[in-house]
Amino acid sequence: MAENGEDKLIAVARHIAKTLGRTETMTDDILQIFSTFDGRFSREKMSDKIDEEDPRSYAVLEHTLKSLDRQISQYVSADQPIWSDLNESAAFLDAIDELLATIRDWDPIAGEKPIAAFLDRADDLLQQAMFRLEDEFRWLIERSGEAFDLNRLYENKTEAAGNFSFDSEDDEDGDVNEDGEDRIPVAHPISDYDIVIDALPSGTISDLHEIAKRMVAAGFEKECAHVYSSCRRDFLEESISRLGLQRLSIEEVQKMAWSELEDEIERWIKGANVALRILFPSERRICDRIFFGLSSAADLSFMEVCRGSTIQLLNFADAVAIGSRSPERLFKILDVFETLRDLMPEFEAVFSDQYCAVLRNEAATIWKRLGEAIRGIFMELENLIRRDPAKAAVPGGGLHPITRYVMNYLRAACGSRQTLEQVFEDNGPDYRNPDGTDRPLSSSSLSVQITWIMELLESNLEAKSKMYRDTALSSVFLMNNGRYIVQKVKDSELASLLGDDWIRKHTGKVRQCHVNYQRSSWSKVLAVLKLDSNSLAPNTASKVLKEKLKVFTQYFDEICRSQSTWVVADEQLRMELRISVAGNLSPAYRNFLGRFQNVPELGKHADKYIKYSVEDIEARVNELFQGSSGSVGGRK
Amino acid sequence: MPATDYQGSSAPFASIGRSILSIRRDHVHSMETNHEATSLELELDSFQKQVTERFHELSSVTGEDLLSLSWIRRLLDAFLCCQEEFRAILFNNKTLISKSPLDRLIAEFFERSVKALDVCNAIRDGIEQIRQWQKHLDIVLVALDPHQRMLGEGQFRRAKKALTDLAIGMLDEKDSGSVLQHRNRSFGRNNTTKDHRPPGHFRSLSWSVSRSWSAAKQLQAIGNNLAAPRGNEITATNGLAVPVYTMSSILLFVMWALVAAIPCQDRGLQTHFSIPRQFTWAAPILSLHERIVDESKRRDRRNANGLLKEIHLIEKSARHMTELADSVHFPLTEERESEVRGGVKELGQVCEAMKDGLDPLERQVREVFHRIVRSRTEGLDCLGRPNHPE
Repeated sequence: MAENGEDKLIAVARHIAKTLGRTETMTDDILQIFSTFDGRFSREKMSDKIDEEDPRSYAVLEHTLKSLDRQISQYVSADQPIWSDLNESAAFLDAIDELLATIRDWDPIAGEKPIAAFLDRADDLLQQAMFRLEDEFRWLIERSGEAFDLNRLYENKTEAAGNFSFDSEDDEDGDVNEDGEDRIPVAHPISDYDIVIDALPSGTISDLHEIAKRMVAAGFEKECAHVYSSCRRDFLEESISRLGLQRLSIEEVQKMAWSELEDEIERWIKGANVALRILFPSERRICDRIFFGLSSAADLSFMEVCRGSTIQLLNFADAVAIGSRSPERLFKILDVFETLRDLMPEFEAVFSDQYCAVLRNEAATIWKRLGEAIRGIFMELENLIRRDPAKAAVPGGGLHPITRYVMNYLRAACGSRQTLEQVFEDNGPDYRNPDGTDRPLSSSSLSVQITWIMELLESNLEAKSKMYRDTALSSVFLMNNGRYIVQKVKDSELASLLGDDWIRKHTGKVRQCHVNYQRSSWSKVLAVLKLDSNSLAPNTASKVLKEKLKVFTQYFDEICRSQSTWVVADEQLRMELRISVAGNLSPAYRNFLGRFQNVPELGKHADKYIKYSVEDIEARVNELFQGSSGSVGGRK
Repeated sequence: MPATDYQGSSAPFASIGRSILSIRRDHVHSMETNHEATSLELELDSFQKQVTERFHELSSVTGEDLLSLSWIRRLLDAFLCCQEEFRAILFNNKTLISKSPLDRLIAEFFERSVKALDVCNAIRDGIEQIRQWQKHLDIVLVALDPHQRMLGEGQFRRAKKALTDLAIGMLDEKDSGSVLQHRNRSFGRNNTTKDHRPPGHFRSLSWSVSRSWSAAKQLQAIGNNLAAPRGNEITATNGLAVPVYTMSSILLFVMWALVAAIPCQDRGLQTHFSIPRQFTWAAPILSLHERIVDESKRRDRRNANGLLKEIHLIEKSARHMTELADSVHFPLTEERESEVRGGVKELGQVCEAMKDGLDPLERQVREVFHRIVRSRTEGLDCLGRPNHPE
């Protein structure tokens, strides 16, 4: 009722003002009189109505502007941040909304000179308000913009489960455990990046959104986006540097000592995960919320925020890919490759918009380059094998260091078999199918590559075996190395990569070496023991057998002397060799001795002639292949 | 073969210098006089001609267009073509590459090219920095948009603020710290924020290289010990030392020109080019070098943070706008207003040209980067496997 009455009263007063005022200035003057006469006739209340009936009453506009000017000027010149007071900020935003509405309402008739002059003043006021908003916006971001600190995050992780804000934790470092006995303050493994952080408190984000809305509405979108992105960029970059990541040029990375670079790679892996899994998504969320409904501003701003940090991260991976191809680097570079591969879905998700396409593509390019680097390392390994000179032969025909190195290297490399399969895919790797499940494993490019390396190793070893003047020793050398290779293959992933055929073939090769050894070492000795009818002719038998025994003993001594220093590292192989030598030698010798003793003139004095019994021979054979130092399987 | 399209054109400068064939013959005294050119010699000869032709074309640029965006892009195009041809030469002569002294020369070239990669990255940052300047200009253009109702005080204040930000942004990194400290907010920030950040923190861009990185030093490193091959080296490498030297020189020049044009950390143009005149491409490169050095010494450009023509235009246009904005009184006279509108139009054109040119330039710089890496990878593969059956 009361309101209705007041409405009527105002309508009457308005009517009077309109009827009496022949010009607009006069109407305004009358309204002025009314407003000082009674508070109910305030300019605002009156103007609404007049506006409806007579839009040309620019006096109302002037009136509104004066009032807004008073309010806004007061805020614009305030010494303290407006957003430090909730009511103040709300009132300031209301004033701006009214100003924006006024400009919007009057703009269609701006052609009229007096109106234009008013609007000019309104624009001026708006601009001042916007400058202030820009500063407030920056202040709000910076106020809570403590850079992200991983250590602190992990200290606080138990609290961080859903909501981790940097706003209030400054003095909370000590009370991690306070609010729960069941929380154990342990150092959490770095592998868990499934954390959501709010780098800005929720309240601040909605304040920023309110400001952004006004700035966009006023046509100050560019200023807003600029302040936003420069502040957040600083935040991100500081967060990245707190992760211990430095900005390094490619040359600096190249010059770095490997051990130092290894540490840097470790930090990078952690940093890249934190950035892509925690920091960037968090920025995306903040950005989407602040620029909610203003999406064109959001996407561009987000790109600007993340661009520098992303490029810094990618540049390092690139520098690693471009760097030395020394085989020892394989494992760390595989780590970088895998990290980037596993982060590709994050790159796709967080940088999905058009502005970020560049960053997405860069990541893919550099990831591919890491694959090339890994292939380059294998090429370098091939070169190392191919060029390993046949200089000094390994004493005793033992295991060559290159065999040990290459086999252990490949075994270790096969620990990352799936990744390597991916790297050696013919048409370049695809992170979407890391298992390479749709192709038969045996025919993969990786197995071709490994087979090729094994071939190189074998031919290198063959060249080295030629260094031995004794062909038997040369066979022992090949046997030793071949045996080692086959065994290392059999009990690792290499077995399935190289396949059963390969293992069968190479086991056969080792056996062939065994046969060769036997032949070149013992056939001469066995030949001596052979007895034909000629040698057993009664008139010559004694002489021939005596001579044969002498030669046998001499050969046997020689062989034992040299072969006891030979090396057979593998115990089983050593046993096999001894058994097979003894197996051939003992029966032949026993047979020979039998004949020997059967010859009458020898039989009586057999002991005089026979230096070794069969048992002696077997004992001596058991001393073969012990290495020069006598230590079993010794290798320097 | 790229030679074919060359032979069709009537190259007016083919006679300027001696061809690689004649350089070689001078050194190989034992050759018969009716020496028949081998395909390798033809290939090398054609490379020299191509390089010469390309740089002659680049050096025929007017003073107006020298160091413009479009010229820089042509320069990079030329580089990419030369690089491609060089790559083909290496590929076709794989067997020779691993022989001394060519293996050493090529390894040195790859060393230089890796150093160039850092320059490419720095240039990419520089392009991004220009984009940041453009943001301020965009604000000026929005503020003083000729299509809007009228130009009032508010609009001018807005434009002036953007112009000031631009001026700060365009100052060299080393000077910017102190200026930024003087930058005031409308409310005191010292008592409201914990300001632990170092001066210069509000830089408009962060470089992706460390703060101590220096473009000048990097150029110096690329050019280190770069000398024309001696006669015996040319003979011993079947002439291949010549394209290696040629490509190294092109690499150095192109990187130098990029550093001259685009803002980057610690620019310095002191690099010396001493290319023997008997190389037919020496003349155009040396003349371009001289012209660019002259440009850098001009009074109005001496302190520029990049000699790119468009940067100069931005500076000029922004200065003009600043003067105008500082001198206007309100209400605007019609004369003033049309002057302002003229200035805005000009600024708009500069911005438009910049906008259109920067993206392709960035892509091209990236392409240069990728090509250098690829060619080096291939080269290392070749150096690595000497007798590998292909």
